[in-house]
Amino acid sequence: MKEVMLYTLSTCPFCKMAKEYFENHHIPYRFVDVDLLEPEEREKTVAKVQEISGRRAFPVIVIGNQVIVGYDEVGIGEALQE
Amino acid sequence: MNQVEKIFCPVCQVSFVVGEEKEAGKRIICPVCGAVLVLEKDNTAWIAKRPMDLTPEEEIRMRIENFARLRGYRFNELKEPLVQGLLKKYERYGDFYCPCKIDNIPENVCPCLETRQGSVERNGRCHCGLFWK
Repeated sequence: MKEVMLYTLSTCPFCKMAKEYFENHHIPYRFVDVDLLEPEEREKTVAKVQEISGRRAFPVIVIGNQVIVGYDEVGIGEALQE
Repeated sequence: MNQVEKIFCPVCQVSFVVGEEKEAGKRIICPVCGAVLVLEKDNTAWIAKRPMDLTPEEEIRMRIENFARLRGYRFNELKEPLVQGLLKKYERYGDFYCPCKIDNIPENVCPCLETRQGSVERNGRCHCGLFWK
């Protein structure tokens, strides 16, 4: 099973939908609500998100070595199957 | 001859021409971002301020409705969770910043700069999924 990591914001509905996708498909995942981190940790995490996605917008979904920017069910499905 | 005087929008930071007659206390709508503004006379110049008599929820709901109407955009079921996200941002950071962006900066005040510059036309929706083509 590929490792799934979600970078999310607590205020963002697409982030919530991304979490629900993995819940509903019974796929284990880790997530971090970046806006709720302490300032130093938040800056480090945002820098990492920017490095892997090129943006400072959420959600960013990492499946194995694939990075999906935004909530894209088709992209998630493809990344899980590859 | 009347000189064309532009009014600066404190929300989207763009100046626009007010076609209608100006009166102190009159509500106008920014044609760029849809913000509801109130006209005031400051010495000799007209200025526009955000209304003080609206609740944050009334202000953002009016603004997004106006913006969608001006651009011909529509909403879907994401609207209510996004309004709640915008209100959460207002409560935490003092303004209606994009609920799906980390940076609470003027260009991310809803409707954000990339949305005002046509991202909905290009992508079918704004990043957050509030405005849809």
